[in-house]
Amino acid sequence: MDARSRILSRIQRALKDRPKALLPEHPHPPFPEDPIPLLLARLAENGAEPHLLSPEGAQALLRELAQGLPGVAFGQGVPTPFREGLNPLPPEEAPLGVSWALFAVAETGTLALSSADGRRAQLLPPTHLVLVERERVYPTLLQAFQDLKELPIALGLHSGPSKSADIGQVMVKGVHGPGRLIVAVLT
Amino acid sequence: MRAKAKLYPKEAARLLREKPGVREAVTGATLHFDRNRLKAYAEVPIAEWRERAKAIKDHALSHLDQYLELAEKRLKENGVQVHYAEEPKDAHRLLREIVERRGVKRAVKAKSMLTEELGVNPLLASLGVEVYETDLGEYLIQLLGEPPSHIVGPAIHLSLKEIQTLFHERFGTPLDASPEALAQVARKVLREAFLTAELGISGANFLVAETGTLALMENEGNIRLSTSLPKVHVAFVGIEKLLPRFQDLALFLPLTARAATGQRLSTFVSLIQGPARKGEEGPEEVHVVLVDHGRTALLADPEAWETLRCLRCGACLNACPVYRQTGGHPYGYVYSGPIGAVLDPGLLSLEEAYPLPYASTLCGACLEACPVKIPIPKLLLTWRHRAVAEGLSPAWERAMLAAYRRVMESPALYRLFSKALRGLPLPQDLLPLLRAWTEGRGPLKPSPKPFHQLWREMEEGHGR
Ligand code: SF4
Repeated sequence: MDARSRILSRIQRALKDRPKALLPEHPHPPFPEDPIPLLLARLAENGAEPHLLSPEGAQALLRELAQGLPGVAFGQGVPTPFREGLNPLPPEEAPLGVSWALFAVAETGTLALSSADGRRAQLLPPTHLVLVERERVYPTLLQAFQDLKELPIALGLHSGPSKSADIGQVMVKGVHGPGRLIVAVLT
Repeated sequence: MRAKAKLYPKEAARLLREKPGVREAVTGATLHFDRNRLKAYAEVPIAEWRERAKAIKDHALSHLDQYLELAEKRLKENGVQVHYAEEPKDAHRLLREIVERRGVKRAVKAKSMLTEELGVNPLLASLGVEVYETDLGEYLIQLLGEPPSHIVGPAIHLSLKEIQTLFHERFGTPLDASPEALAQVARKVLREAFLTAELGISGANFLVAETGTLALMENEGNIRLSTSLPKVHVAFVGIEKLLPRFQDLALFLPLTARAATGQRLSTFVSLIQGPARKGEEGPEEVHVVLVDHGRTALLADPEAWETLRCLRCGACLNACPVYRQTGGHPYGYVYSGPIGAVLDPGLLSLEEAYPLPYASTLCGACLEACPVKIPIPKLLLTWRHRAVAEGLSPAWERAMLAAYRRVMESPALYRLFSKALRGLPLPQDLLPLLRAWTEGRGPLKPSPKPFHQLWREMEEGHGR
């Protein structure tokens, strides 16, 4: 017998006389009419810098952020108009990364980023700008997960800048990932 | 890790004596965590959340064989290589094979208590692999050569001053460097490690059977980097970490975050399916090691199996007045605080860990805090009963109880002792055991008459 079958048979022996516990259903939380204000508020509480912008407004914001920088690292999904006039750089060298979110969750102030978009651009630059369409904002995590048809190789949920309080209980930003998270919800 | 749980009382006393600063640091940090948890609990229907989480965990545990097989199937479909480890040596064999086959020189590690159990760091060091702990707290204690003091905040026992001194000696930073400056130094060293390591090692908070998803929670981004940049990712997962459905994560991720740090969700969550597809960034190989190491034995225990619901959130540590005095080191094993006191005897043996169930006031704060309602106070008593039954309880307690029983069983002896106790002057200041009691109170004074005599007099007075 190998380790696998030994472990499985030990589990079966342990559970032989144990009553089986039932699996509860998922609840149906009430659906707030407009999750956008809650998302913006929660993101700000998490230490991010949220904006509600038209696509043109977001392009202007990006150009403003990129001003004076040698270039920008782009996620795969970032549409062409956002890239125009900017110098693409590999994420290891770029001071700014731009990503296109799969969806966002209002109750926790969270952006969901697909590995297909490129994890390096989401993590290595010290500043991270995330673009998300307002139709892709869910009120709750459960609703977002229920709607998820296909899982990327590594789904990343980002709810603020990288931080740690491990040094003397003092909150420090930008420990390993981006210390600045800027979010544009696109109208 | 070699267990030193048996030394608990001695080690706790020594730490209090030799490092009084630890108490201050740990109390401050845990009170802070605990307040945040209470605030975060108050924001949601926490009673319903805890009940549901407990029910889902109980369901998963009572169908563990089925979920384990389903998880294995899904993981393999996702291209993950699945392994089983009964003992640390199985994990070691697997790591050695990967190190040799892939020519691993450097590994980055995401904080994981299970890899502490398995002794992964010493093994890799013996294979000539340079290991970097990448969680900032974990990195600090790695530099110091210490084990974690807290499940969630491994370095909460260190003061800013101690860390400043450590970095001054290691990296030449000024003795008054700010936490920001120190974090930047660590960031630089570890960024280099992330970009050059051939192997990334992690644990997992959850493993979803339905989809084969590994879920990892953190605030710094180091786990996301450790599982994204190196070509090989190995995740060690205790078999109790299974969740039935992907959507269960929508409860367990926020519940764990609220319990652990009072956040609505931890800053980064990684939900990993497997190795990167063609043309995508990410590891070429992903291995999941399903680890037993005492867990099936615990599952078979008719009383203690409930311990396996544990999410390792650390909320019970933060709530515990005993843990706050010393932090985790005196507990002598990977898991400290209330959960350690009931988990360690189950994972090790009662012989190795019997003092731990006594490291509690039975105040119930841990049960109140626990997001999955593990009846820790009840389990502490269960382990104490077993320790007594196996003759493992402390010698002084056994001697006292034996003497007490002899006296109580014999009316003649009882009369003799109560008379003697009433007659003798109590040497208040000579008894070191009593000194702590008498310091804040008046002296202990025995009643001049025995209780049964007082009772009789009262009855007679009543009758008259
Ligand atoms: S016993 Fe409960 S409170 Fe303690 S670490 Fe486990 S889940 Fe958290």
